[in-house]
Amino acid sequence: MQKIISGSNIAAGQHHRIIKNVVRVIGILLLMVIVLLPFYVAILYAFKPVNEVSANRLAFPRVPTLNNFYEVIFKNQQFLSGIKNSVLNTIPTVFILILFTSMASWVLARFNTKFYRIMYAVLTLGLLIPFQCYILPLYVNFFELGLVSSNLGFIIARSGLQISISLVAVTGFVKTVPRELEEAGNIDGCNRFETFWRIVFPLMTPINITQLVLNTVFIWNDYSTAIILLRTKESQTLTLAQITYFNENTAMLNHAFAFFILAMLPILVLYLSLQRYIISGITAGAVKG
Amino acid sequence: MSQLRTVKSGRKPTSPYARKTFAGNLLFLLPTVLLFAFVVLVPFFQGIPYSFTNWKSIVSTQFSFNGLANYRYLLGNKFFLMSLGVTFRFMLLYMLGSNLMGFFLALLLRRTSAFNNFSRTVFFLPFTVSVTAAAIVWSYVFTDVYGTITKLVSPLGLESQIVNAMVMIGSWRDMGYTMLIYLAAMQTISKDYYEAASIEGANTFKQFTKITLPMIVPAFTANITITLAWGLRSFDLPMVVSLTKRAGQTTAVYVYQSIFANNNAGLGQAAAIILTLILIVLTQAVTYTLRRIEVEL
Repeated sequence: MQKIISGSNIAAGQHHRIIKNVVRVIGILLLMVIVLLPFYVAILYAFKPVNEVSANRLAFPRVPTLNNFYEVIFKNQQFLSGIKNSVLNTIPTVFILILFTSMASWVLARFNTKFYRIMYAVLTLGLLIPFQCYILPLYVNFFELGLVSSNLGFIIARSGLQISISLVAVTGFVKTVPRELEEAGNIDGCNRFETFWRIVFPLMTPINITQLVLNTVFIWNDYSTAIILLRTKESQTLTLAQITYFNENTAMLNHAFAFFILAMLPILVLYLSLQRYIISGITAGAVKG
Repeated sequence: MSQLRTVKSGRKPTSPYARKTFAGNLLFLLPTVLLFAFVVLVPFFQGIPYSFTNWKSIVSTQFSFNGLANYRYLLGNKFFLMSLGVTFRFMLLYMLGSNLMGFFLALLLRRTSAFNNFSRTVFFLPFTVSVTAAAIVWSYVFTDVYGTITKLVSPLGLESQIVNAMVMIGSWRDMGYTMLIYLAAMQTISKDYYEAASIEGANTFKQFTKITLPMIVPAFTANITITLAWGLRSFDLPMVVSLTKRAGQTTAVYVYQSIFANNNAGLGQAAAIILTLILIVLTQAVTYTLRRIEVEL
């Protein structure tokens, strides 16, 4: 294709192309520096010893220390309860979502009468109504049921809030799965539940892995649900605890930034190792929570 | 299909098999429906009457109905109207910023190569970190890096600049998302179009405006709709950088503050309803308009 463009003047064309590419790469690298700047600043502070926190702000500490991480991991009560709550909240929420939405999506993708279309429209209303519109009744209901400031309450609320988004993605996927296999199952004498568990659910593995990864990212990073429902320090998730800690210890910047880095580390590892699922999930029309 | 519907329109399916299928379907839907109703639907409908009350502190459940008083108060309240202004300004600039940057990045990185794949990974990275922690780190980027280089005050500390600073942080985070959507759309365009255009003598710019742009209009629709909704709902970011600064307070934060901090639950609920109405009307109008444009192209 390039040869056609440059026509007879191949050498000049190639020269031109190389220059263009060099400019492009330099531009991209410059943008990367800006995009990664906050990460650099966070790492910088996290490795600073106490006496260097406010000195030479842009340079890497002369004596980088791991002490901040040690202090946060072993001595910071907010971090310890935060990581416990984040793990205990995220894992059940993600699995509830996979189970519930894959069951519902199968029905919604396979039946197309008015009843099911209305069902789908209602269940995806969550995409349209902003969270702020029902925080007051949600909080009051949960308070009366003793679900405020508890892992169970957070799990219920967060999975309910994520249903609409997951449902759109999973239903869209099931529509692309051919029904022939299910019909074969029917002939073999499977009932609905057997057909679902033995045939349909395994076929949904790609979308379910995508949901697992994406929902983990969204739920781990959730702030708005956490700040409304988790009103005690003991119940806070890591994402909320790190802000609380920062606000209460603005002088201990090095600890706060080590806290930030530790809080995002699990998600960072997840993103870098399972990137293609995140990308396929986003481009398939999944949206953030 | 139409036959089936005429049969059904009369009455519900009565054959034992159809009834069994329907019952099975309901069982499959039940967990999702119950959970969604409990967390979203029921609270949503409960919330509407609360907006017509003088409910103060959420600790007590004592309140009485006061008609449209909350709405009347809000529409004349300086701070509420200011929060709407902040929300709209943030939404517009953030929509522009995250889409322009995402589109530009997608153009730069649309060919598949090891370097481009690596770059995509880097540019999407901000989307995977929590907005709140990122916003705090950004406040130090503004004081330490930006401040050191330009000798200027952090824009987060200036009333006139705070929305722009929030737009920067928001766009930084979400441009990787819009980039992925634009990239996916660009990759569906067949190379044949470009080859044919080259043979016809169309230059790069012509190819861009006549092939690339029209072919990715659905991606514009998707990205504009989603960033519009995210922009109007913006809560996490202003909660961290401008909770107490009116100049950066969005309506979503105003709602939270009224209900949970200022003991004005009924008023906050009314503000939430206004925000919801604006959001629904705007997103529907924008989606409708963009779809119309898509069809015409």
